Amino acid sequence: MLKAVLTGVATVGLFALAPVFYANQTLLFSAMMYLVLAQGINVLYGFTGYLPFGYVGFFGAGAYAGALSVLRLGLSPVLALVVGGVVAVLVGVVLVPLLRLSGAYFAIANLAAAQALYYVVSNPDLQALTNGPYGINLAVAYNATASYAAMVALLGLALATVVYLRHSRLGLALRAIREDRISAELAGINVVRERTIAWLLSALLAGLCGAAFAWYISVFYPETVFSLNVSIFAIVFALFGGAATLAGPIVGTLVLYGLYSAIGISQPEYFQLIFGLVIVGLVLFLPDGLASLSERAGFEVP
Amino acid sequence: MMRQKGLAGCVAIAALALIGLGPAAWAADAPAVLKLGTLYAGSGAFAVPSTSEHEGLKFWVDQVNAAGGTYVKALGRKVRLRLIAYNDRSSTTTAAPLYNQLITQDKVDILVSDFGSVLTSVAVPIAQTHKMLLFDPTGTGAALFSPDNPYVVLCSLPTSAIWPYALADFLKKFEPVRRVALLYATNDFTGSQAATLRERLRGSRVELVYDQGVATNTSNYAVLLHNVEAARPDAVIEFGYANNDIAFLQGLQASGLKFKMVFAIFPGQLFSLLRKNVSEAGLAYTYTYPTPPLLAYNKVNYGPGLEAFLREYRQKRGEDANFLTVAGYNTGLVIGKTLATADKLDQLALRRAVEQFSGKLFTLDGLFKVDRSGAQVGELLPVGQFLPSGNGVKMQVVFPFALATGKPVYPAP
Amino acid sequence: MLAYTLVGGLLFGLYFGLVALGLNLVFGVMRLVNLAHGDFLMLGAFAAYWAYQLFGLTPVSALAAEVVIFSALGLALYYAVVPRLLASSDPEMLSFILFFGLSQALQALAVIAFGNNPRSIPATVFGRAPVRILGQAFPAAWMVSGVVSVALVLFVYLYLYHSRLGRATRAVMSSREEAMVSGIDVHRVSAAALGVGLMLAAMAGAFSPFMLGSIEPGMGTAVTTVSFTVTVIGTLGEPLGTVLGGLVYGMSLMLMESYLSSWANLLPYLLLIAIMLVRPAGLLARRARYA
Repeated sequence: MLKAVLTGVATVGLFALAPVFYANQTLLFSAMMYLVLAQGINVLYGFTGYLPFGYVGFFGAGAYAGALSVLRLGLSPVLALVVGGVVAVLVGVVLVPLLRLSGAYFAIANLAAAQALYYVVSNPDLQALTNGPYGINLAVAYNATASYAAMVALLGLALATVVYLRHSRLGLALRAIREDRISAELAGINVVRERTIAWLLSALLAGLCGAAFAWYISVFYPETVFSLNVSIFAIVFALFGGAATLAGPIVGTLVLYGLYSAIGISQPEYFQLIFGLVIVGLVLFLPDGLASLSERAGFEVP
Repeated sequence: MMRQKGLAGCVAIAALALIGLGPAAWAADAPAVLKLGTLYAGSGAFAVPSTSEHEGLKFWVDQVNAAGGTYVKALGRKVRLRLIAYNDRSSTTTAAPLYNQLITQDKVDILVSDFGSVLTSVAVPIAQTHKMLLFDPTGTGAALFSPDNPYVVLCSLPTSAIWPYALADFLKKFEPVRRVALLYATNDFTGSQAATLRERLRGSRVELVYDQGVATNTSNYAVLLHNVEAARPDAVIEFGYANNDIAFLQGLQASGLKFKMVFAIFPGQLFSLLRKNVSEAGLAYTYTYPTPPLLAYNKVNYGPGLEAFLREYRQKRGEDANFLTVAGYNTGLVIGKTLATADKLDQLALRRAVEQFSGKLFTLDGLFKVDRSGAQVGELLPVGQFLPSGNGVKMQVVFPFALATGKPVYPAP
Repeated sequence: MLAYTLVGGLLFGLYFGLVALGLNLVFGVMRLVNLAHGDFLMLGAFAAYWAYQLFGLTPVSALAAEVVIFSALGLALYYAVVPRLLASSDPEMLSFILFFGLSQALQALAVIAFGNNPRSIPATVFGRAPVRILGQAFPAAWMVSGVVSVALVLFVYLYLYHSRLGRATRAVMSSREEAMVSGIDVHRVSAAALGVGLMLAAMAGAFSPFMLGSIEPGMGTAVTTVSFTVTVIGTLGEPLGTVLGGLVYGMSLMLMESYLSSWANLLPYLLLIAIMLVRPAGLLARRARYA
C-alpha cells in the first residue's frame, strides 16, 4: 500500500515538475493522457478481464461533451471537465448490456459502439449541435497551463483509483470474479453490480481525460478524438507494463510512448515497422508484461 | 526499501527516456543558419498531397542554399537555411507534440505547417501560444483564421470558402445549365465549398436539384451516382479529397451513366495521380479548378516563372511537379520574401513584413494577398475543362471569360 | 431504383461475405482475432495490381498466384507465432494485440515498398459493356466479383464438409481439446486454416479495386472493421454464416445509401450491436456466449 502510494505520488510529481526542465509540454501532456487511459483500461481489463476495444468512445464522448458545454452552454472549462466525465458515464450506462458478452464478442461490440458514436457525432445532420464533421474550435477557453494542471490532477485521480481497487474489498471481489465467477457468486459477491462499477469508473476516467484533452488541444476534429489508435495505444501500453498492477501501465506507457516518440522523431520512415514488431515480440515473449519480469526476479510490483 | 528504490529507479529511467528525446538544443544566438521546421505525412490519409508539398518546400530550401542562402534584411546578409521535418503520419494526435517539439526543442526560426486544414488545425493554437508565426501552405479551413490571431499566414491557396466563386458564376451565366446536382464530402475543406456554392446559387435561375453530403471515407459512389441520375441534373458538382474524386470518377466510368457536365476538384491539382487512376478517357470533358502546372500565371515579379520552375524541378528531381509541389515551393517564396522585407527577426515583425508585400507579390502561384486574419484572398480559382487531345487530354480554361482559352464542350459527348 | 439497390446489395453482399470469410475461419479454428486480416487483403490487392501492371493479368487470372503465395504465407505465419501464442494465459485477448502489431508492421512495409499513391485496376478490364439485370445496368466487374465470391464460398463448403482435413477442422472448431485427444493433428489443421484464411483475404483483395475503392497501404483497417461486422452478424466462429452476414450487411448498406445516405455509415455498427444484444450468438448460432 505504502509502496503504491509512493509510486503514484512520484509519478504525479514527476509530471507536475517536468515542464520546468523540459519545454515540450505537449509531449508530456500526451504521455499523461495515455497514462490515464492506460490506467482506465487497467481498471476494466486488469480487474475484470473485459478488453474495451472501443475505449476511445468514452474519450471522444468526453471531449465533445466538455467542448460543447463550453461553447453552447458557456460553462467554465473546469465545470466542462466534469460534464465530460458525466456524459462518458452516461454512455457507459447505455452500454451496460454489452457486459453480458464475453471475450472477443465484448471487445468487438465495444468497438462497434465507439464507431457508432463517432458516426453520430460527425454526422452532418447534427451540425447544429456538434458541428458535425467540421470540428471544434475551443480557442475561447484555451489555456495550456490550466489544462496541463487539470491533466496532472486527473492522473492523480486515475492512479488513486487503481490503488484503491488493489487494496479494497471491491478490487478483491472483482479479482475473485475474474478468477472464477461461479465461486465468487457462491461466496455472495454481486457479480453484475461489481462489474458495472468497474465499467463506469473506467468510463469516467476516459471521459474526464477526453474533456481535458479537448481543452488542451483546443482545435480538433471528430476523427482526432474517436481515432481507434487511441484505444489501441492505451491497451498496448497497459498490457506491455502488466495489467492489474499500478506500476505496470505507468512503466509501459513511459517506455513505449517514449520509444514511439523517440523513433518517430529520429527514424520516421521505419518507426511504424519497428513499433509493430516490438508489439509482436512483446506478446510472444512477455505476454504478462514487464511486471511479470520483475515478479519472476522476486520483486513484488505495486 | 530497496525494492521501492528499484521501482522508483525504473520509473525515473523510463521518464528520462521520454524526456531525453530529440536532438539537444544548440546555441541559437549566432544565426549562421536559420532553422525552418515543418511536418509532413509519410503515410496515412494525407500522405500523397503532403509529401508532394513537402518536396516543393525542400526544393526551395535546396535552391536557396545552392545560391549561398536567402537574403535576410534584418541581418543585412545572406543566410543559409536548415530544414527540420518530422513525420506525423496524417495524425493530429501525433502532429501536436511534434509541432511543439519544433518550437520548444529545435527552436526553429520559421514554422511551416503540414498540408491541409486537418493537420494545420492543431498547429494554429500551438503557434499562437508560443508566439510563432505559422506559415500555412494549404490549410484553407475558415476555422483556422480569426482577426485576433496575427500568428498565421495562408500562403498558397485561397481560403476554401471562396474557391467556388468562379464556379458559381459560371453555372449562373452558362445558359444550358438549369439543374445542378451537388455531392460533397463532409469535411472542412469541401463542406465549406458546398456551403458557398449553395449560398451563391440561391435565388438564381439555377436550381439545386440534388444536394447530398457523404462521409469523407466514402469509396463507393455507385448508389449515389444512381441517386444523382434520378434527379436529372444538367451539371454534377462533386467536391471531395483526391480519394473521393478518384472513387467518384471510377464509379462513373464503371456505371455506364453519362452526365452533361461533371466537375471535380483534384483533377486540377493532382493531375497525374488522377490520370493514373481513372485514365485519360475518364477525365475527358471533366471540369475542374485548374491550378499550376495546368494553369500558367504570366505576371510574375518574384521567383521563377512556371515554365522555368517545372524545367528545373524535372531536371534536378527526375519527376514532374504537381500543384502541391508548386504550393510547397510557393510557401518557400513567401518565406523568402518575408525575410527579405522584415527589418527585425521577431515573429510579429515577420507578420508586418507580410502585410507590406501582401497584394503586390506575384509568383508562379498567382497573386499573394492576405486579409487581416491571415487568410489568402489573392488569385481566385478559375474553371477549366479537360478536352481530348491526341492520346491524352489538355486543359482549357472556360471561365472567367476574360481568362478563357476556349468555349466549354457541352453537353459532354 | 429499388431493383437497382437490391441487385447491387446482393452482389456486394456476396463479396462482403468473401471479405470476412477468412477472418471467421481463423477465429473459428484457433479462437484468434486476426486484426491484420484487412492488411492481408491489402497485400492481395497489391499482388493483383502488379500482376495486371507487369503481366497484363486480370484479377481472375491472378488468383492462381495468390493461392500459392498467401497460403504459404499463412502456413509460415502459423508456425512462427501461433503455437507460442496459444500457450499463453489469455490467447484470445493477446491475439488482438499481436495481430495489431502485425498490422502496423505490414502497413509500414507496404508504404516502404509501394509508396502512398492510391492505385487502381481499370474497371473496364472485364469489358466495357455493363451487365443488365432487371433492366438495370451493373458494371461487369461487380458481376465477376459476385461470381468469384460464390465459387470461393462453395470451395470452403467442400473443404469443410467433404474432405478429411475439413472434418478434422470442424472437430477442432467444436473443441480443440477433444480433437487433440481423439488423435487429430491440431497444428496441421490450424495451420491449414490460417493458410486458407489468408488466401481468401488475398483473393477478396484482388477484387477490392472494383468493390472497395483504390488500393493503398492504409486501407486494411477499415476492411478489418467491416469484416468483423459481417462476421458477427453472421455468427462468429461459423464460417458459412459469414455469407448470410455479408448479405445482410450488403443489402442494408445499399438500402441506407439509396434512401438515407448521410446515416449509411452508422448502420453496420448499430446492426452489429443490436444483433449482439438481441441474439448474442449471431443469426445462426447454436451456442450461447454470455459472460
